[in-house]
Amino acid sequence: MGEVILQMKDIDKSFPGVHALDHVSLEVRRGEVHALMGENGAGKSTLMKVLTGIYKKDSGTITYKGKDTEFHNTREAQDNGVVIVHQELNMVGDLTVAQNIFIGREPRKGFRIDDKKMIEDSKVLFDRLHIDIDPTEKMSELTVGKQQMCEIAKAISHNAELIIFDEPSAALTEKEIEDLFVIIRDLRAQDLGIIYISHRMDEIKVITDRVTVMRDGGYVGTLVTADCTKEDIINMMVGRVIYEKPKEKSHVPDDAPVVLKVEHLNAGKMVQDVSFELRKGEILGFSGLMGAGRTETARAIFGADAKQSGDIYVNGEKVEINSPEDAVKRGIGYLSEDRRRFGIVVGKSIIENSTMATLEDYMSGLFINKKKEKEITEQYIKELDTKTPSSDQLVVNLSGGNQQKVVIAKWLVRNSDILIFDEPTRGIDVGAKNEIYKLMNKLASEGKSIIMISSEMTEILRMSDRIVVMCEGKKTGEVKIEEATQELIMDKATRQMEA
Amino acid sequence: MEKIKQNPLVKKVGFNRVVLCGVLILMYIFFSILVPALTGSGFAGMSHILGALNYAYFLGFLSLGVTFVIATGGIDFSIGPVMFCCGLISGYCLTMYNVPMAACLLISVAVGTLFGIWNGYLVAYWSVPPFIVSMASMNMAKGIASVFTKTQSVSFPRSQDANGWFRNMVRMNGIPTGLFFFLGAAIICAIILNNTKFGRYIICLGSNKEAVRLSGVNTKKWEMCAYIMCGLLVGIATIFFVGTYTTVQPGYGDQYNNEAIAGCVMGGTSMAGGLASISGTVIGVFIISLLQEGILALKLTKDIQLIITGIIVIIAVYADVMARRRRN
Repeated sequence: MGEVILQMKDIDKSFPGVHALDHVSLEVRRGEVHALMGENGAGKSTLMKVLTGIYKKDSGTITYKGKDTEFHNTREAQDNGVVIVHQELNMVGDLTVAQNIFIGREPRKGFRIDDKKMIEDSKVLFDRLHIDIDPTEKMSELTVGKQQMCEIAKAISHNAELIIFDEPSAALTEKEIEDLFVIIRDLRAQDLGIIYISHRMDEIKVITDRVTVMRDGGYVGTLVTADCTKEDIINMMVGRVIYEKPKEKSHVPDDAPVVLKVEHLNAGKMVQDVSFELRKGEILGFSGLMGAGRTETARAIFGADAKQSGDIYVNGEKVEINSPEDAVKRGIGYLSEDRRRFGIVVGKSIIENSTMATLEDYMSGLFINKKKEKEITEQYIKELDTKTPSSDQLVVNLSGGNQQKVVIAKWLVRNSDILIFDEPTRGIDVGAKNEIYKLMNKLASEGKSIIMISSEMTEILRMSDRIVVMCEGKKTGEVKIEEATQELIMDKATRQMEA
Repeated sequence: MEKIKQNPLVKKVGFNRVVLCGVLILMYIFFSILVPALTGSGFAGMSHILGALNYAYFLGFLSLGVTFVIATGGIDFSIGPVMFCCGLISGYCLTMYNVPMAACLLISVAVGTLFGIWNGYLVAYWSVPPFIVSMASMNMAKGIASVFTKTQSVSFPRSQDANGWFRNMVRMNGIPTGLFFFLGAAIICAIILNNTKFGRYIICLGSNKEAVRLSGVNTKKWEMCAYIMCGLLVGIATIFFVGTYTTVQPGYGDQYNNEAIAGCVMGGTSMAGGLASISGTVIGVFIISLLQEGILALKLTKDIQLIITGIIVIIAVYADVMARRRRN
């Protein structure tokens, strides 16, 4: 490890209602891979957004290459050699690899773009990374793993000196992860500073030199990876919270009726011939890597996107679902992974959101019965323990966990019996997460049936009665909770279906 | 400032509307001083107030209509020319085919509503951007009206003529009856917007259409209804326009788009959708109307008013953009 390239000290950042960063510190040296760890909502991404100028810090200092620094936007950060390789890839599918890498700063020859130079330069970058990708190929033709490599090539093309990898392995197969590590080691040997954000404990031990742990927006500590055990890191990450053990056996009786049956569902590339059954009172986990087609499956069932073929049975009866309207009528509720975009109307009140799916029940003749609306909303605020000063509060002012409760309330007010929870705890802090889990268990015990899509293995193992695993748009396995292990699920989630 | 904002009465009415009322009163005082000083004739009297009100009726109906569309996050640039189209078609029916007056007024409303259905269908079901749809409708409205009337202007009967009874809706024996119609319509619109399913859905879908759709709401249907509502109100606006100004010429009407939208946006309805205020629209309309009367009284041309309305639209929208940025 070389000299210190980045020193973030006492960084503080608040959003309305959330103390997102509470005096967090981070030190990265040249020639080091530094892991940044923490549960979802611990503040890792926020810290990185402060570093790259997306958020403005409230207080604290950032010293980069020995100078006091504050970037105002990602462009400025890039120009100074600080780049992020995002978890979600930011590539334009219809452009070539070379066009993507040099987008916004194409080499010119007079007025024209110098394609030849662009392709040459791309080749130089790929050589430096020892990877074999044709710069003239279209981005959409590449696998997710290769696309990620292009992101990295793009990152180092900015003369990067500090690269941030934000959960780079989330969507990669074992083999691709190995390739990625070769590249990261290469970059380390070239004396770059590397911040590596990941949830996967095994990777941390393999690839990183030091690890900084965050929890609930606070700084917990920094360790040398070689000197600590997995358990040390887990303990620092979870702190006061007891790490819940996986569910030991299914809570669903063998003779529970099937409430939802999906047969040979096809919807585009991401949903191919998916079939499964959901029983009354069951929590059915949907596991898989990013881009496995789980959300697409849920949206096709719910009628949010068009499907090509497939039959859906609700309580044994075959139903036509062509729009969310049809699905809601059949008692299906969908909680999106992207709450702010698809779940709630943030600019409106809790009341307006709670009765959104069922306004017709709260009418007196032509007019909305606002008293009745308020009553039911307040009943669910109490029941779900939503933290808010009043039912008139705009949803935008609530924290992530409480926003999620408003979405849940919407479907409970509708009295939906089949609930699809898509990443129910994404972006929610640890305490609220436990409340959501409790709530889901309670709902299941009351006879509601739940499909839970989750990318967090611990969540899948802790909540599910049965687990469906998907990979690249196909169902690759179905595992009973009694037999489920992390390894087994991971194996199915990364396996291609054979012919 | 904060103290005023926290006052319970101000809170109930809305700070924005209190400011607007202030602007309205200041403008009146401003013209009352400036007009006599520059032209020697008075402004404070009843005649100018009535003049401003005459302008406010038809503009008010246009503005109420476009409030529904803007609430959904859409826009309608065809309202002015559509109003002219309604006036020309019904006026031509009256003068050339001797259609009874009452039926002619209904024809106005029907033509406006048809344009609303057309605009709404294209926006909601074909997903054509509202800007494009309404631009096209604007030209179509002008074209249809010209073809129908063979590019003739039409004149409606004066109050002493036969068939002149409809002018009583605007003014009867010196009483500004139009004001009652306008305020009555505004109250109905406010109730529709705040207390019905239609109002709730269009405001929510203006804020986040996809979230509303995923709650099982038929967003296309309701979005289309907002345009139909707008068309209906444009049709009614026609009655008050011809009841005040008698003659309608083909090929015009554009300027009222801006004025109606200005009145609406000034009143606190957000161009981004999801936020609408009928009371704000009403005050906004009064401000625009007083402005037009004041400018005429100053013996300035209509062009000056176009410039000022343009500036008002920019300022109102900019204020809305800034307010949203602060909220985020």
